[in-house]
Amino acid sequence: MNQKINRVVIVGGGTAGWLSAGVIAAEHFIGSKNNSPEDSFQLTLVESPDIATIGVGEGTWPSMRSTLQKMGISETDFFRECSASFKQGTLFKGWRTGADDIYTHPFTPPQSYTEVNLAPHWQTAREQINFAQAVSPQSALFTDKLAPKQISTPEYAFNVNYGYHLDAAKFAEFLRKHCVEKLGVTHIKANVTAINSADNGDIASIATDSHGNIEGDLFIDCSGSRALLLGEHFGIPVISKNDILFNNTALAAQVPYNDENDPIESCTLSTAQSAGWIWEIGLPTRRGIGHVYSSDHNTEERASEELLAYIASTVSKQAAASATLRKVQFSPGHRAKFWHKNCVAIGMSAGFIEPLEASALVLVELSAAMIAEQLPANRGVMDLVAKRFNDKFLYRWDRIIEFLKLHYILTQRRDTDYWRDNCEASSIPEQLTDLLALWRHQSPWHRDTNNADDMFPSASFQYVLYGMDFETMPSQTQRRSEQADQQRAGRLFQENAVRTQQLQTSLPSNRDLINKIHTFGFQKI
Amino acid sequence: MSNYTILNNDAHKDLRVNTSRSAELGDNIMYTMTFPLEFRDIQSCYPIFFCKDPDSGQLYPAALLGFEQNKNLFLSDSGWDATYIPLMVRRHPFLIGFQADPDGAEGATKPVVSIDSDSPRLIEAHGEESQEGEALFKQDGTPSDFLQTSIGTLESIHRGLEHNKGFIAALLEHELLEPFTLEITLNDGSNNQLLGFYTIAEEKLQSLDGDTLAKFNAQGYLQSIYMAIASFARLRPMIDKKNAQLG
Repeated sequence: MNQKINRVVIVGGGTAGWLSAGVIAAEHFIGSKNNSPEDSFQLTLVESPDIATIGVGEGTWPSMRSTLQKMGISETDFFRECSASFKQGTLFKGWRTGADDIYTHPFTPPQSYTEVNLAPHWQTAREQINFAQAVSPQSALFTDKLAPKQISTPEYAFNVNYGYHLDAAKFAEFLRKHCVEKLGVTHIKANVTAINSADNGDIASIATDSHGNIEGDLFIDCSGSRALLLGEHFGIPVISKNDILFNNTALAAQVPYNDENDPIESCTLSTAQSAGWIWEIGLPTRRGIGHVYSSDHNTEERASEELLAYIASTVSKQAAASATLRKVQFSPGHRAKFWHKNCVAIGMSAGFIEPLEASALVLVELSAAMIAEQLPANRGVMDLVAKRFNDKFLYRWDRIIEFLKLHYILTQRRDTDYWRDNCEASSIPEQLTDLLALWRHQSPWHRDTNNADDMFPSASFQYVLYGMDFETMPSQTQRRSEQADQQRAGRLFQENAVRTQQLQTSLPSNRDLINKIHTFGFQKI
Repeated sequence: MSNYTILNNDAHKDLRVNTSRSAELGDNIMYTMTFPLEFRDIQSCYPIFFCKDPDSGQLYPAALLGFEQNKNLFLSDSGWDATYIPLMVRRHPFLIGFQADPDGAEGATKPVVSIDSDSPRLIEAHGEESQEGEALFKQDGTPSDFLQTSIGTLESIHRGLEHNKGFIAALLEHELLEPFTLEITLNDGSNNQLLGFYTIAEEKLQSLDGDTLAKFNAQGYLQSIYMAIASFARLRPMIDKKNAQLG
């Protein structure tokens, strides 16, 4: 039981595998001079030469900036080699009424968010200005397709907060190179043929077709939705969430720009359809456009018609005619637990849910960061860390599912069974129903909970609620704090308007800045 | 705005250049690019900092001339009060342009002398015997002494730009630049902040190993680094100048 945990083996080489490898390797200094040979930490990634990566997740959260930075990656290299672009949030179309309604969820929280709750003060002006524009400059910036910074801004720094859009296949390859060349990760190309158990039921080693048995103290399952280790070997079941979130099929296309200098969106576009929604992710080289829908509510034929109609109207009829659609099916849900014995799952092996709030990559980052940080010193304490990990990530999955569901239940749409079913009380998690009742009387606020594991800050709930036209009733009694904040709020709204205008005139277009990154690169200072 | 055309002794034969120094002629600037090859002269008059080209984010050394936009403390009604005027100020109204080089490899360019035809320094002489300013060409169409000197200035700048690239790259590679904010309190109690400038990171410099120092010495970078540090002493006289202007 006192066996040291020095040999970590990752099975699977997609984005999840390489991102996990990078995060863990960067923390543990493989082959560093400080490690004596017997203490030396080894990280091996075993990748099948025959299985293509799915390349899920082309949108990140702002957390990816510090994840890349900690790995010692140059942001310039990342942009150049991963066809990366800036993402400042999401723009939702048609979610409220199915017509031309629009709302935004920017990455930047409302002005002075930790000091003043602007939501109640905005209520009185809600007819004049939408919530996101009243409290943050960011949605105006991405509506104008502007970048979140200038070429003179140092790498990873910003004028307004941002994450990325990227080419997932290029990203995995880019991470592989960095992990192997800079971080000392051992890369083995082999197919796993069997799993060898130890007496205590742990995985002792994995048998491969070309590299024999590969031993390890901790095995990380990044093998995708089949979950070779956690699922197939240990039989940890998937808990389906299909009763809450109906989407289980995606049709994806890659569409060229009409002109190579066309503007690049600096947010994800999400346009509601009859039984799902269409994403659009602008990379410098192409537009990634896909339809994620519920196969219980829509046929593939109808879904592809809707997707092609979208491409025809936003790109061109010709682009729609020549688009190749790739179909991906998934069952929304997550494993009953993620860490079992000496095996932990990260990525699609842990679970998968529709990409509405780009939660796939951030879960990989958080999982890998926790493993890196809490890597058990020996087998004896591993079960304790495993329990922590499971508690934390079960909590996080529940919060993600609730937040995604929130997007659906505030709709006024009743045009199809899909939207009607989404609003059925039986499909809504109890805690979300309770919160909604509470939010009728008080707006979400950062002091509501003190759980550091909440995936979405209360500001995100504010953006979705008030973007979807949700009404929080004014307090029934006069409040000292609201009166005290009233003048300050007025000032903040004004300051926000001024700052929005300043940024609109000083920030370059998303396309211009990306071109400059390719030509000049960012400075580190 | 600037409007550069390639200089030629036919179209520009009657042009003369006003070489005096004034705000109207574009000299009222807060800072200007400089080059290690003129650091020795620059540091005797002006503090040397580093700043970024807003269009490319690339760093370059700059001589500080004032503490606010469009305020050159060295400029007065009687001209530019300093023993040395930076190359990039003296170059006007000329610029090095680049033209396809028919003798070079494909895509090769060669430098050519260009002139800003919108520059306020230009005087059309209209053929008569004008004595104002400096002529560009002699009667026979050959370059005047003034133009010869100006071409020399442009050549220095051209070499300086090339040298800057290597100098800046070396500084960045060894993390020898750091952002800094200069806070100046004037006699009237007002606080002035200079943002967006960078300077030599002295702690990093002091921890450089011998091999790097030897390399920097051989490339001439070491001297330039210490001149930039020494140039800080020029801040005090500038603050005094500013206070004197406040009266």
